[in-house]
Amino acid sequence: MHQDMNISRHIKTGLMLMALGFTSCEDKLLNLTPDSVLTPTNFYKNAADINQAVLGIYNSLQTRRQTDYLLMEVPADNLYMSANTTIAGSNDVDFLTVNADNALTAAFWNTTYNGVFRANAVLLNIDTPTNYTAGQKDQYIGEAKFMRALYYFDLVRVFGAVPKVVDKISIPEAAALPKATEEEIYSLIIEDLTDAAAKLPARKSTATGRASKGAAMALLGKVYVYRQDWANAKTQLEKVINELDYKLVADFASLWKLETEDNDEVIFTVKYVDGTNGQSLSTSYTPNGGLVGIADRGAETSLPSWSLLKKYEEADKRKAATVKEWWTSPAQPNAEPIYYPYVSKYAVKHSYGASGIDIPVLRYADIVLLYAETLFKQGDKANALVQLNKIRERAFGNAAHNYKGTETADLMDLILNERQLELAYEHERWFDLVRSGKYLTVMKQEERLYNYAAKTPVVVELAPKDFMKVYPIPQAQIDLSSGLKQNNGY
Amino acid sequence: MKFYLKWPLLAVMLVLVLCTSARLQAQGAGNVSGTVVDSVGNATLPGVSVVIKGTSKGVTTDVDGKFRIQTSAGDVLTFSFIGYKKVEVPVGNQSVINVVLRQDNTVLDELVVVGYGTVKKSSVTASVAKVENTVLDQIPVGRPESVLAGRLAGVNVTQNNTSPGSAPLIRIRGASSIDAGNDPLVVIDGFPGGSLGSVSTNDIESIEVLKDASAAAIYGSRGAGGVIIVTTKKGKSGKARFNFNAYAGVANAKGHKDWITGQEYYDYAVRYQNREYKWIGGDTSIPVWNDARRPNAYQVSDVLKNGNNVIWEDEVLQSAVIQHYNLSVGGGNDHVKYYVSGTLKDEQGTLKNTSYKNYGVRANVDVTVNSIVSLGFMLNPSYAKRRFASADINNYVKFPSFVAVQNPDGTYPNARSYWGAVVSGQTNPMATLDGSYYYGTTVNNLGEAFINLNLAKGLSFRSSLSTNLASNSTDRFQASWAVSTGLNSGSQALSSTTSIANENVLSYTNTFKGVHSLSAIAGASYQKYNSSNSSMAAVNGSFNNDIIHTLNNAIINPSASTSSKSQWGLISYFSRVNYGYKDKYLLSASIRTDGSSRFGPENKWGYFPSASAAWRMSQEDFMKNVGAVSELKLRASYGATGNFNIGDFEYLGQIGDVYYSPNNTLTKGQTQVSYGNNSLSWEKTKSYDFGLELGLFRNRVNLVLDYYDKRTSGLLYNVSIPSITGFTSSLSNVGSVSNKGFEIELTTKNLVGEFKWETSFNLAKNTNKVEDLGGVTERIATDTYGMGWILRLGQPMFSYYGYKIVGVLQNEEDVKNSPVLAGSVPGNPKFQDVNGDGQITSADKVILGNFQPKAYFGLINNFAYKAFDLSIAMQASVGAKMYNFENEYYQGALLGAMRRSMVDTQWWSEAEPGNGMVPASSLSKLTYQSSSDAYIEDASFLAVRNINLGYTVPANVSQKLHLSGLRVYTSLANPFMFTKKGFHGYNPEGYTGGEIAGTGSKPGYNNGAAPINRVYTLGLNFNF
Repeated sequence: MHQDMNISRHIKTGLMLMALGFTSCEDKLLNLTPDSVLTPTNFYKNAADINQAVLGIYNSLQTRRQTDYLLMEVPADNLYMSANTTIAGSNDVDFLTVNADNALTAAFWNTTYNGVFRANAVLLNIDTPTNYTAGQKDQYIGEAKFMRALYYFDLVRVFGAVPKVVDKISIPEAAALPKATEEEIYSLIIEDLTDAAAKLPARKSTATGRASKGAAMALLGKVYVYRQDWANAKTQLEKVINELDYKLVADFASLWKLETEDNDEVIFTVKYVDGTNGQSLSTSYTPNGGLVGIADRGAETSLPSWSLLKKYEEADKRKAATVKEWWTSPAQPNAEPIYYPYVSKYAVKHSYGASGIDIPVLRYADIVLLYAETLFKQGDKANALVQLNKIRERAFGNAAHNYKGTETADLMDLILNERQLELAYEHERWFDLVRSGKYLTVMKQEERLYNYAAKTPVVVELAPKDFMKVYPIPQAQIDLSSGLKQNNGY
Repeated sequence: MKFYLKWPLLAVMLVLVLCTSARLQAQGAGNVSGTVVDSVGNATLPGVSVVIKGTSKGVTTDVDGKFRIQTSAGDVLTFSFIGYKKVEVPVGNQSVINVVLRQDNTVLDELVVVGYGTVKKSSVTASVAKVENTVLDQIPVGRPESVLAGRLAGVNVTQNNTSPGSAPLIRIRGASSIDAGNDPLVVIDGFPGGSLGSVSTNDIESIEVLKDASAAAIYGSRGAGGVIIVTTKKGKSGKARFNFNAYAGVANAKGHKDWITGQEYYDYAVRYQNREYKWIGGDTSIPVWNDARRPNAYQVSDVLKNGNNVIWEDEVLQSAVIQHYNLSVGGGNDHVKYYVSGTLKDEQGTLKNTSYKNYGVRANVDVTVNSIVSLGFMLNPSYAKRRFASADINNYVKFPSFVAVQNPDGTYPNARSYWGAVVSGQTNPMATLDGSYYYGTTVNNLGEAFINLNLAKGLSFRSSLSTNLASNSTDRFQASWAVSTGLNSGSQALSSTTSIANENVLSYTNTFKGVHSLSAIAGASYQKYNSSNSSMAAVNGSFNNDIIHTLNNAIINPSASTSSKSQWGLISYFSRVNYGYKDKYLLSASIRTDGSSRFGPENKWGYFPSASAAWRMSQEDFMKNVGAVSELKLRASYGATGNFNIGDFEYLGQIGDVYYSPNNTLTKGQTQVSYGNNSLSWEKTKSYDFGLELGLFRNRVNLVLDYYDKRTSGLLYNVSIPSITGFTSSLSNVGSVSNKGFEIELTTKNLVGEFKWETSFNLAKNTNKVEDLGGVTERIATDTYGMGWILRLGQPMFSYYGYKIVGVLQNEEDVKNSPVLAGSVPGNPKFQDVNGDGQITSADKVILGNFQPKAYFGLINNFAYKAFDLSIAMQASVGAKMYNFENEYYQGALLGAMRRSMVDTQWWSEAEPGNGMVPASSLSKLTYQSSSDAYIEDASFLAVRNINLGYTVPANVSQKLHLSGLRVYTSLANPFMFTKKGFHGYNPEGYTGGEIAGTGSKPGYNNGAAPINRVYTLGLNFNF
């Protein structure tokens, strides 16, 4: 009897234990919330969140800009891939044999649309916070629209017509979305930049590396040039030149020094900080053996083409600030330098893979040359020459090398040539060749490694085709979509 | 204390014993003698222990099974022999006692742990494998799972990283999950989710593996990869019994034999440079050195032949000392039983500056309060410290041979110190090894307290609370002179996890009317897991000196420093019923439901049922006359298991940190970093198993056959989505994968006489197949160098996908007339033009093999003769392919180390075309061969994993030493490894690309897997 009571008491205890578990544990064990991460439902709630989200938009570009040279310089005649490093897909770009499976175009598509998503997210949530200080909301809208426009400008230049996304879209919606026309993409870019220019604060009240009013105005001018809308281009570029306080700095080389990387010529640049938030471009251009006083080692992904090197005149100060031909090994600093050309534009003392020198997006010299081009296209050769010579004078330090207007070469060719020399390795060359149509002739041959002793370059025969003006849409994206069609020729 | 005093004496005596053992056979002018024979065939049995009961006095039978012993009239003689039933005979006034020993067939009554309970082996209705720890703890491997290699059919244990302390991979019946892991669930003394690394092999009583889903279903949501149940030793009533086990030895890595140096090396370097120069249109008649007409990048310095002749593999490897010690004591009385043990492992790595130390303690205590209440606890704190290398071994051995190991002044020269151009800019390997201080430490404590209530006859309730507390730290420091960037660096990562489980099980067992046996359980389990992680890194180059390695000596890099917490919870309810009729017809059914915090609000709960049945034909009357058949059982089962091994809160879109530097000031931003998927749910595996168990000739031959068919659906993985959404992938439940196969386990007692020989053979064949990919027919992930890993319907998961080489382009003419990849030059491969369109495009890629073996085998042979025993464990694997990307380093690139087998068959020029199948290997043309089968090699192997030779000192001798048992043994791990000709890696199981973990997985990719170690040890085990 005593034993029985004992047993039933134990059964009760056991059942109670279990029952306790049934009721109270479910919430504590199953309905948990993250301790360390926000989710879209509790983010974008105040002005500080929006500011963080805006920084996120820049971050996409900061990531991508380090490898833009692979699609924007390598296919052109400024740069070729080194035999020492293999980057998937780069060989095809270098030899103009890109196909739809290319890894570089796939990565470019992904990161650029990721940037578009981040800009859209800011714009879609911009009305949620209520604690903006005066002008803050306009600034964020302006930044998001500027960046969205820049992303689409890059997309339309790289791929041509692409899908237009300005909202949060579901996976099925995305899979069905067809390409918008180039026309529609450019309308969006112009609309965004116009609004951004109206809303963004002036350069002096903007942190370097963030978009200012001038950045939006200048980019808009450049977009009009790409549209060959010369009237609007003229108006817009003149506004930038006359209403804003950008100017060419006296010393070209100072543009590429850490101490003077922020200056009056910078319109929009992607900022980097050595070590903690650096870029890999400096390392990519550094020879494997390193550079004395700059880096013990480099990645040497690519090397400057003789096609570019041979064009620099001896007195052109830009050459020494862009490329170096003689190299000394840091392992043997007292040895005789050897002929080993490398890109030196971004060669500042840096940590491996994390250099602090900024990578420009828009620089006043670019605007001046675009303005020269616009004037030329509008028939104003005299003033085009004036603008072009501003760049020449700065490059040579005097007017002795100015063009007279009597050269046999076509002035438009001189402008394009100047753009190549001035903006080499600033991701303009391939786009300039494409929009001018020159890639079909210029890229038939590329002179690459120069044999200094034999005085002969290695000549590579290439076969540029009309359809190569845009890259193929990444096959992986076409496979995931019912709406996306491949570009002609691929 | 007593132990320590005795120890030197023991050692001396041990040596004496070893020398004289042969003579210490049954002696003395006794008044009782006789012969011991086996009941089967009347074979005489030597080595049988004959002891006077209650004393330590005894003898063993001689070669002819005879014995002679001095006794008194009242004595009782005990005859015992391993594998036979013990016999006791009162002496009385007999002078001759002949004894017949019967083999012990209790193996069928042996209990098998099946999760929340035990079942008699004969009553098991599912596919469950069991390994008992008899001498497993005497095999010199660091972790308990390694000793299972080759021992269990369908359980593939692969050691793909041989560095000290690293865990092997275990795959039970193939891999089925893409992103949610394929590791089995490890249950240690009932605690689900333990780590085998924290358990000492010495403390293990047995390991059971639940292979089929009907058995694993009781662990429901976590059983999809199979379940490994570890049961540790418990104390037994009686006086304290000490056991000491120790072994020590030397490990040597098995390296390559074909490194080239000096003139031979130089000649290949010249060939390499000339080939490169020719490709860019150079004139190779220009001298290779000191002629300005030849560009620097294509020259070859004379230092290559006039420098040193260093084989770097020899320099970075060493003979490594390993030592393991374990001391345990178990005992108790009717109320309290205890088992306490301490383990010390100390292993050097064969790669210099690597090591592993582990200290562990275990205490298992059981208390019986009264006939109703019993309780107990288990504690297993352990500490492990690893020092590991900063890079895989290929980074060290690929270094050029002309560089000296060290300068006379103690600094380390680099290749570029000899020649400023072309050669690798890498730092001297010994500098990297000596200047890298990478440590990982783990403190782990698995503890469990339980109470058991016997509520009524057959009815009991057990409730337990277990905790697994772990904290890990990883500390890294690299001196500035140890890295090519010239910048010192350091980081520290800390993590701590707590896992708490409460399990409550009500069990009922009874037999009705003598023929209906019934057992049932019902239970509830609650588990909560919390983790916190933090990591900090120094700004590279900011350490003030190389003396202080902690981060207080440097500037902390904020963008590389994080801190976070996370958690998950799991609630489970389960029940199982086993029914048996006359031990002949057996049924089992279970159901488990799990709720997990990891899934979306609508999908937290999953249901995992199972059912199985067995028919013991041998118990039928019509089988009783078939004398040869001692056991015959047929069984069939079905079960469902799940998988929830994804990250916490992945169903939510998450906001993450990103950085930007406006005004040159590092600033944190935030952005959504994952797409989120509210409908995320369990990945489910449903499987069938059909089995046959056959015992012949009183179970001298045991055969187990199993056929299984398992299908995993609702695969959890990051499915590619259109990236215009802003994201490239979203974790989803899509697609299914199947694994079908069969297993054979054959155990035979070949010889049972004086010379005993037992063989245990197992074979498993598994076919893995992608069944569904959610609407598409294939998904390909291509790595940087062009090799693809494909998921294609009807094919095994993650097959290699690339071009197939059919020859080598010999000259310009050949290039012009063959279908080629754009940019091909003579020396590049000729590929198979699969679609015959005259050009090589991605449409010509084909499946080139798979990393998974088609079949694997294990063979254990145990021999015993008198006091000697010998065990040989072998393992074989057939059909696995490896992508040996590391070969590229040894083919001439950057004029680094070269292997003869990598250069002598290569195409160098039209005049030196090699064997016609090995293309020119060059960094500039790397993707032309890395995207093909050039580096895919057959990784089939036959390995002798272990040879263990032991000598058990006869009982009468050990008794004189006051020991109740003494065994000395020597063990040889990995004595022989046979691989296919043409396999170039160090280890056919070693790959560095990681396991299957998401759609971008590169299983089978090898770039620097470490060599296999051959380990010689000498060990000692005794009880007192």
